[in-house]
Amino acid sequence: MRTQLFLFAISATLLITGCKKKASIHVSGSTTVLPVVSTAAEKYKLIHPSVNIIVNAGGSGVAINQIGEGKVTIGMASRNITSDEINQYPNVQFNTISIGKDAVVPVVSSEIFEAGIASLTLNQIAQIYKGEIRNWSEVGGPDREILCVDKEKSRGTRHVFMAAVMGDKEADAPGADLVLGSNNEEQTAIVQSNAAIGMLSNAWLSNDVVGLNIIMPDSSIVAPSLENIIAGKYPITRDLLIVIDGDPIGESKEFIDYLLSSEGQKIVEEAGYVSINQ
Amino acid sequence: MSASTNKIGKGYVVGSTLLSAFIVLLILVVLIANSWSAVSANGWSLLSFKWNPPTQQFGILTMLYGTILVTSIALFLAIPLGIFTAFFTSEILPSKYRILVKSMLELLAGIPSIIYGLIGVAFLSIWVQNVFDLQTGRTFLTAGVLLAIMILPTVITLTDDALQNVPDKYREAALGLGLYKYEVVKYALLPIAKRNIVGAILLAFGRAMGETMAVMLVIGSLDKIPQPFYNVLSSGQTITSKLGREISESSFGSVHFSAMIFMGLLLLSIVMILTIVAQRNFKTEDRLYD
Repeated sequence: MRTQLFLFAISATLLITGCKKKASIHVSGSTTVLPVVSTAAEKYKLIHPSVNIIVNAGGSGVAINQIGEGKVTIGMASRNITSDEINQYPNVQFNTISIGKDAVVPVVSSEIFEAGIASLTLNQIAQIYKGEIRNWSEVGGPDREILCVDKEKSRGTRHVFMAAVMGDKEADAPGADLVLGSNNEEQTAIVQSNAAIGMLSNAWLSNDVVGLNIIMPDSSIVAPSLENIIAGKYPITRDLLIVIDGDPIGESKEFIDYLLSSEGQKIVEEAGYVSINQ
Repeated sequence: MSASTNKIGKGYVVGSTLLSAFIVLLILVVLIANSWSAVSANGWSLLSFKWNPPTQQFGILTMLYGTILVTSIALFLAIPLGIFTAFFTSEILPSKYRILVKSMLELLAGIPSIIYGLIGVAFLSIWVQNVFDLQTGRTFLTAGVLLAIMILPTVITLTDDALQNVPDKYREAALGLGLYKYEVVKYALLPIAKRNIVGAILLAFGRAMGETMAVMLVIGSLDKIPQPFYNVLSSGQTITSKLGREISESSFGSVHFSAMIFMGLLLLSIVMILTIVAQRNFKTEDRLYD
């Protein structure tokens, strides 16, 4: 008798949870795009209570793989899809939609910034990542060894940064001392150190993690400000992308339309990025 | 209980045992099948030091070395600490407190590893950074210390059990000969419980090798052999941290994915061998007691 009751309870529970299932959109990918999409998802769910949006991090590479394998409906990417990735999934029509613009900024610990390093040339940064410059004194800073923070190879921020700095999006960085993943993790490591250099999305800068100005070949200095990004002056910029398989349909189309609407673009700007309308 | 219920019960028990055995086999088969393309594409170059997916170089030795180094640090710290704690709980502590202390120590084993990882990132790595005046506290040593704390309960509990399993007559005989307490432990208990203690260490060894989350957060994830090779104050990479960070970035079915699975297979094989050897040590036959 007791067993029967137990079995009944289990099947009843399954039945109830089965019935209550809402339409859900699974989103995953770049931690650069994440703040925008997760805020938008929260607001969207208030307007459309019948839709459930589940947003996960993971990085651009993860997003593209998961779209390829059909595990998520919407991927977030902060870099373009490589030809290798397209060839890997011949049955998938990768479709990217830009929802905003961003800059990848070389960042340093605030101690280094205060000690006088406010701008570097792209070549100097490349030499640091190649391991040719190991001490801040070699670029006019204090006599302190550089803690060179790298990112995982398939991260969008790294692709964009390495393409601009080293000329190859998948360049090796023999000078790296640490290899980390998300923007969050990178930011923490740089805050914890007093001699670190790293790469971060423009929206992740803070008082403890300071963005560097870049000295251009014509020796003009460009700051990572929103104006310079909008004007296209800053040398390391990229699109924030939404990746889907084929054309968007149904619930996910409506959510993407929301991201592109003026309300969605306001969220993009509040997160510290540049809206597509500018 | 009627005969039919009995039969169902027996079928259920046998069935679940077979299912567990089948799952182990299935995992092995899946790992071997999926790692095959890396083995056939890269062959012996898997046993090199260079890992760079874009150029199809998948040398796993750096990660293997990292795993061995971190595990050695953890065992080096945890074995003496664990065994001496077990001597205390088993031989010195009055038995009414023993259960209390032991269950509190066992609570340590129940703490999720991500919690250890967070504590490691937020505090331990900063302390290591300050104490040794390093650029970064994400080092082999940090990971090793964290792992040592994590495997400590295993060492303590199993060693304590091993000592408790020694019948009191040996203690009494040794005390009757006028030995001091430490002499009783050293000459009477330790030789008898030795096999079980070695088993405990091997199980802890396996646990340390397979730990992912905590190690991944504090080791720095740098695919490099430290310079010089015994420098535990530099960042590195273990098999588990590599898998944790990269497995979802590699596309299913690629050589990259396959090479990761190969590392997983290697780790599983080592841990399985350790467990089997450890189980042999816990065999009850050819024991001295009773």
